[in-house]
Amino acid sequence: MRFIALRWPAVNKRISALLSIFIFATAAFGSVKPRYGGALRVEFLAQTISMDPRAWKAGSRELGTNERLAALVFERLVLVDNYGRFVPQLATEWSHDGASRRWQFTLRAGVKFSDGSALTAADAAAALASLLPEGVQVSASGGSLIFQCAEPRPDLLELLASGRFFVFRAQADGSLLGTGPFTLDAAAKPEKAAADGPSAATAAVFHFTANENCWAGRPFLDKIEVAYGIPPLRALFDLQTGRAELVELAPEVVRRANQSNVRVWTSSPLTLYALRFDEGQPQAANEQLREALAYSVDRSTMASVLLQKQAEPAGALLPQWLSGYAFLFHEEMDLERAKQLRGVLPANVAGGTSPLRLQTEMTGDLAHLLAERVAVNARQAGIAVLPIGKTSATEKADLHLFAWRISSLSPEEELRMMAKAAHAELSAEGKLSDPERRYAEEKKILEERKVMPLVAVPDYAGLAANMRDWQASAWGEWRLADVWLEPAGAQKNAAPAVGSGARP
Amino acid sequence: MSFRTKLFWVFLLTVLVTVSVVGYSVTYYSRAAFEEIDRERTEALVSQFQKEYVQRGEEIGRQLDNIINSELTLRTAIELAKPNADQSIFFRDATGIAQDHGLDFVELVDYQGTLISSAQYPARVGYKEDWVTQVADWHEVAPFLRREEMPDGSDLSLTAVRAISVEKKNLYIVGGKRMDRKLLASLVLPAGMRALLYRNLDQNFSPAQLIDATDTLQNPERFETLINQVRKQTQPVVKTVDWTGDAVDAETFHSIPLLGRNGETLGTLLVGSSRRELVLLTRKIVWIAAGVGVAALLIALILTSWISRRITRPLEDLAEGARDVASGRWDRHIDLRGRDEVGQLAGAFNEMTHTLAAQKERLVQAERVAAWRELARRLAHELRNPLFPLQITVENLQRARQLGPDQFQEVFNESTATLKAELANLNAIVGRFSDFSKMPAPQFTRVRVNEALRDAMRLFEPQFNAVGKPPVTTELILADGLPDVDADPDLLHKAFQNLILNALDAMPAGGALTLRTSERDGKVRIEVTDTGKGLTPEECSRLFTPYYTTKQLGTGLGLAIVQSIVSDHQGTISVSSEEGRGTTFRIELPQKQTNTLARLQTEETKANGEAAVKTAPVASEG
Repeated sequence: MRFIALRWPAVNKRISALLSIFIFATAAFGSVKPRYGGALRVEFLAQTISMDPRAWKAGSRELGTNERLAALVFERLVLVDNYGRFVPQLATEWSHDGASRRWQFTLRAGVKFSDGSALTAADAAAALASLLPEGVQVSASGGSLIFQCAEPRPDLLELLASGRFFVFRAQADGSLLGTGPFTLDAAAKPEKAAADGPSAATAAVFHFTANENCWAGRPFLDKIEVAYGIPPLRALFDLQTGRAELVELAPEVVRRANQSNVRVWTSSPLTLYALRFDEGQPQAANEQLREALAYSVDRSTMASVLLQKQAEPAGALLPQWLSGYAFLFHEEMDLERAKQLRGVLPANVAGGTSPLRLQTEMTGDLAHLLAERVAVNARQAGIAVLPIGKTSATEKADLHLFAWRISSLSPEEELRMMAKAAHAELSAEGKLSDPERRYAEEKKILEERKVMPLVAVPDYAGLAANMRDWQASAWGEWRLADVWLEPAGAQKNAAPAVGSGARP
Repeated sequence: MSFRTKLFWVFLLTVLVTVSVVGYSVTYYSRAAFEEIDRERTEALVSQFQKEYVQRGEEIGRQLDNIINSELTLRTAIELAKPNADQSIFFRDATGIAQDHGLDFVELVDYQGTLISSAQYPARVGYKEDWVTQVADWHEVAPFLRREEMPDGSDLSLTAVRAISVEKKNLYIVGGKRMDRKLLASLVLPAGMRALLYRNLDQNFSPAQLIDATDTLQNPERFETLINQVRKQTQPVVKTVDWTGDAVDAETFHSIPLLGRNGETLGTLLVGSSRRELVLLTRKIVWIAAGVGVAALLIALILTSWISRRITRPLEDLAEGARDVASGRWDRHIDLRGRDEVGQLAGAFNEMTHTLAAQKERLVQAERVAAWRELARRLAHELRNPLFPLQITVENLQRARQLGPDQFQEVFNESTATLKAELANLNAIVGRFSDFSKMPAPQFTRVRVNEALRDAMRLFEPQFNAVGKPPVTTELILADGLPDVDADPDLLHKAFQNLILNALDAMPAGGALTLRTSERDGKVRIEVTDTGKGLTPEECSRLFTPYYTTKQLGTGLGLAIVQSIVSDHQGTISVSSEEGRGTTFRIELPQKQTNTLARLQTEETKANGEAAVKTAPVASEG
């Protein structure tokens, strides 16, 4: 089977024609033409940032931020557009055998790294070889990359189109070169952000400069200044006061942002908050206790009240948009059932003197709030749960509240990594490409109730009014190469534009 | 126990008892005064705490009034009064309200009692708080203590509630401040006092819930018993906590239960008062009392010594004087002055000795006169017997001159023979008197009494069984191992002879003579017993008087000589007799003669001359 992908120049021509018509039309109604120049100021909540995809930890909360920053410097072989279609990026065409075990990608010719050196298949193979999951090997063959899979991988395109699968060249000094629209200012180390308040000590800034040699053309922006480690309210304040054009918003401030008429971008649910019983603790072996706890949890209130409707109750590990079957896992709170189950257990199980210790594996108000709500819900069922902080390393926790950030568009790969992180065993390891088997595996995990999804939270971003042609995918990608900044004074007549605009 | 010792103890006990009573009284009244002051200070502190409590409650009430009168709260109430109101948009409101109004606890509760927003425990939103809907007008309810549920347990709050009504749908604002060390820090504590607050939030006593104003509380677990007692009784309890084993560090705690709206004990105010001042004062009193006691001891020693010199010395002088009197110095005079009882006693003593000496002198003179009279009588008696034959003989000679020569010659020869015989008799009488007056001083040597008795008996053996005389049987009951005595063997032999001879004279019709020796009280006892006719008590009393005799031909010097010899040997002689049954003479001699006594005896003997009449202790048992 062979797929011939559309070549970008061809797409570019068509889109350019359409854009010409659109621009003409909008100009007739007083809209503004995209303009080059300017520095986009971006603020992230994450405390740490890594630009090296090899160092990223699957499921970590910083993964989204890392991917967004990496997408400024590095590129993938393929992309997925907002309609779910695969779009060539560094690869121009690809094909695979009937069993989806052998894949061949043809690299785009003439692509150069930011230092001017040409991208070769060997560079791409070397970069991806360090990132690919077990059972998938890559090699260079002329101008092509050959992927050899131990098991059928029909999801290889989704895999390569998302997550950490960027193409780069590792320099001798450890730095990475990319072919993306921006380059990381190597001379400028992360500096202290010009922020006041308690966050100032920890906030740092990265500087990105437009890559003049980018094969897809120079981005509109000259620079992007990225500050990270910004507290949620500070980020919103900076956006409102014009000190940043793009800020990552925490769920708890989204309502405030909406009330302040801030432009808010929302992704699909990407971060799953869930409970996990610790296999090493005896309480985890008590099936009735696990079931009673699962029935006591009020996910709806968590989503609607605690997260002020900025999240969705989660009954499944993979979100609906990724798996397609998540709606089948819908666990309602049943307090009577929970009390009934708890009632048959001995009093000393999860009792007042030996409560279930619930450890939050991440920081932040939201995590604490969810942990406390679990404790409150459990108390109604007669189960004592004691939230303990992340720093309580000396205490053995019976329960863990963890967050999992979806990063891969491959549900198979995501379920595999999630199960591994949740210490859940997959019985059909090699056959997860089949949606029915995936559903069965996930159902088995959930019915054991050693892992209990609570809520799924989208990513949020606040956008300044002068930031134009904002484009982002539902799965959280930011395409800042197409963004341009409207000059001050021209915003009065500017209509909000999201998802439109492209580089010439 | 001597008078001095008695006096010392009496004085010492008197002082000690007095000091103890005074010390105890001072300590008792000091403690009572301290406890009264402590009680008043505790009441003042509790009153101050209650005032702070009320003021803080009023402040909370004012803040809640401000909240319900604000436009934001009114808008919230209006929104919530709408059908199908979205309560989630107010989820964070309580936090902002708490920050704006300086409250630790704020909760918004709708008219159905559902928690809409909570500053202290956001995760509880959605749960029921029905109790707020059960009061019609919260303005009429004073702020109260409440146990606030918190994510990490619970906390103690001074809480007030206010309500705002929109379309008959109430929005309740529950606000409060934490009962923490800020409240305690606002109290002005007198020196030595401190205030603690126990927040009764856990089922069992928890040391972490006991706080003070400065976060320097140590050993909170020591309060467990006290706190549990207050929790159980819901009544004030007073207890003293001994921190270190040293009473100086002890504290008395007044525990006052703090009750919630439903009468449950939600807290305990502990007002601690140091006992340092009281204990130090008590110790000072005790030390002073001890010092006074020691001083009393010394003073008692000095005073008793001085008083004894004043009191017992005269008594001792009196005792010594009495002993002197007993030993024969009847002219003893005590040189004491004073008008007190001892002086009077001394005067009486001197008067007594003076009288005794005078009476003794008179007695001696009387006895001396009596002795001379007796001597004269005896001499007259002794001399009259030979003189009468001499007179007859001389008268016969005068009448014989008228006779013929032959007859005269015969009468003359007979008369001269008679005259010679009677003159010889007179000479013998004079010789005996001369012998008595020449009693020699004893020359002491160790003498075996049994042997001396046997020797004396041996001399009289022919007379015991003499032909023509009634027989006298003898019996010697001599103790074995009888100790030797210091004695003059010749004098002792002479005394024994006289006694045996006296016994033989007492038994003209025969009888039994028993000689018995024994040792008693360190002395050697010799008994000579006859079975004669016995003596009358009067005879017994005069028996040892020189020249007194009951015999027709006796000189009355035999027993006097015996008594003199016994006396010279520092011994005693006594007689016991029963008429018709016989008489027993009993001599007791010391085993050792003291040199002083022996010398004195010798010197006295020499000084008194040969004619002096010796006296010796005589006991009549008859």
